[in-house]
Amino acid sequence: MKIIHAIKKSVFHKWPYGLVSFMIIFLLTFFLAGAAFAHKVMIFAYVDGDTVYTKSKFSGGKKAKNSQVIVYNQQGNKLLEGKTDNNGEFSFKVPQKTTLKIVLNAGMGHRGQWTLPIEEIEQQTKSEAKAAPKAQNVTATDLTLPEVQEVVEKVLETKLRPIMKMLAESNEKEPEISDIIGGIGYIFGLMGVASYFHFRKKNK
Amino acid sequence: MKMPEVDSCFFMVLQEFFMHISEGVLSGPVLASGIALAAAGTAIGLKRLDYDRIPHAAILSAAFFVASLVHVPIGPSSVHLILNGIVGLLLGWGAFPTILTALLLQGVLFQFGGITTLGVNTTIMALPAVICYYLFGCMIQKKSYIAYISAFACGFISVFLSAIMVGAALMFTQESFLGIAAAVIIAHLPVMIIEGVVAAFCVAFLKKVQPELLPGFSGSINS
Repeated sequence: MKIIHAIKKSVFHKWPYGLVSFMIIFLLTFFLAGAAFAHKVMIFAYVDGDTVYTKSKFSGGKKAKNSQVIVYNQQGNKLLEGKTDNNGEFSFKVPQKTTLKIVLNAGMGHRGQWTLPIEEIEQQTKSEAKAAPKAQNVTATDLTLPEVQEVVEKVLETKLRPIMKMLAESNEKEPEISDIIGGIGYIFGLMGVASYFHFRKKNK
Repeated sequence: MKMPEVDSCFFMVLQEFFMHISEGVLSGPVLASGIALAAAGTAIGLKRLDYDRIPHAAILSAAFFVASLVHVPIGPSSVHLILNGIVGLLLGWGAFPTILTALLLQGVLFQFGGITTLGVNTTIMALPAVICYYLFGCMIQKKSYIAYISAFACGFISVFLSAIMVGAALMFTQESFLGIAAAVIIAHLPVMIIEGVVAAFCVAFLKKVQPELLPGFSGSINS
C-alpha cells in the first residue's frame, strides 16, 4: 500500500495529467485489441450492358441494407431513386447517357457517393450494340490471335477497372495506428506552439 | 416492396452510425450556422483558456480524438465513445477549441465527418459539453455522492443533448426530427451509461488525487 501511495504521489502530484494520459493509453490498447470501424458508408457502381449495378457497405464490411439510393445526372437533376436490398445492392437500367452521380443515403447523416463517368456507360452500351451484329456473321475461325487478345484485354480492363478503383478506395479509408499516433502528436505539437507564444510574450 | 415508416426508422437504429455528420448531407444554412456557432464558441473558449490549462486541453483533446475509435458493442447498434461530458466538465468553454482540434484531425486523418461539416459537428459535441459544465460544474465540489451522481449525469446528458442536436441538424434537410432524434438517442443509450460511469470514475479519482483540476475548487492546494 505504501508503495502504491508513493507512486501515486510522485506520478500524479508532480505530473497532474497522469490520469488522463493513462486513459489514453488504456483507450489505445482497446483500439489495438481490434475494434471494428464503421464510420463511413460507401457506394460503388459499375455498368454491365445497359444496367447499372450498385453495392453499398459501411467501412468495416457491414452491408447498408434498406438504404435510399438516388441517381442524379451531371446537371444535378434527380433521375430516379430506389432502396438497397438485404445485400446492400441496387440495380437500375441506364436512364440517360450522361455522367451519373449515385448517392447513397443511409440515414442519420451517413452518405456515400459514386460517380459513374459517361465514358464507362457509353463504352458498355456501344460494345454491347457492336457485339450483337458481329457475332452473327463472324465465326470463331475468322478471328486471328491478336484480335482475340485485344478483345479479351479490353473486356478484362473494363470489368476490372471498378474493382481496382474500389480496392484503392477501401485501402485508404481505415484509420491506421500511424494516423492515431500522428494525430496525438499534432495535438501535443499545438500545445508546444501555444507554450512557445506564451513564453515569448513573457520574455518581452 | 415498401416498408412502413416505423419499420424503416427502427431499421436505421439497427444500422451503425455515429455523431459525425458526413459532407454533403446538410443544407447550406445549417452548415453556416454551425460554423458561426463553433467560431463563436471557439473564440470564447480561447479567451477563457489561460495558459495553465492548455496542457489539460491538449490531453483531453487527445483523449477525445482517440475515443471515437473505441466502439461500444452493446445494444442495438455499434457506436463509439464521445467523452464530451468530461471534456466540458474539466474545461468549460475550453471544450470548443479542444473538440474542434480533435475533430479536425479526425476529419483529416480518418475521414470521419468532413471539413465543411466541421462547424456543425463541433457545435453538436461541444455545446452540450458547455451546457453540462454550467449544469453540473457547481455540484462537483459538494459531498461525494452528490458529486458522483452529477458527474454521471454530466456524462449521460452531454451525449443525450448531442443526440438531440444531431436530430435538429438533420431536421432541416431531410428527415423528421422526432424520428431521427429518438433513433440516435436509443442507439446511444449504452454510450450514455458508459460515459456517465467514466465521468463518475474520473471525478472520483480526481477528487482524491487532484481536486484543483475540477471546477469550483476553492480550497488551498495541499499536496
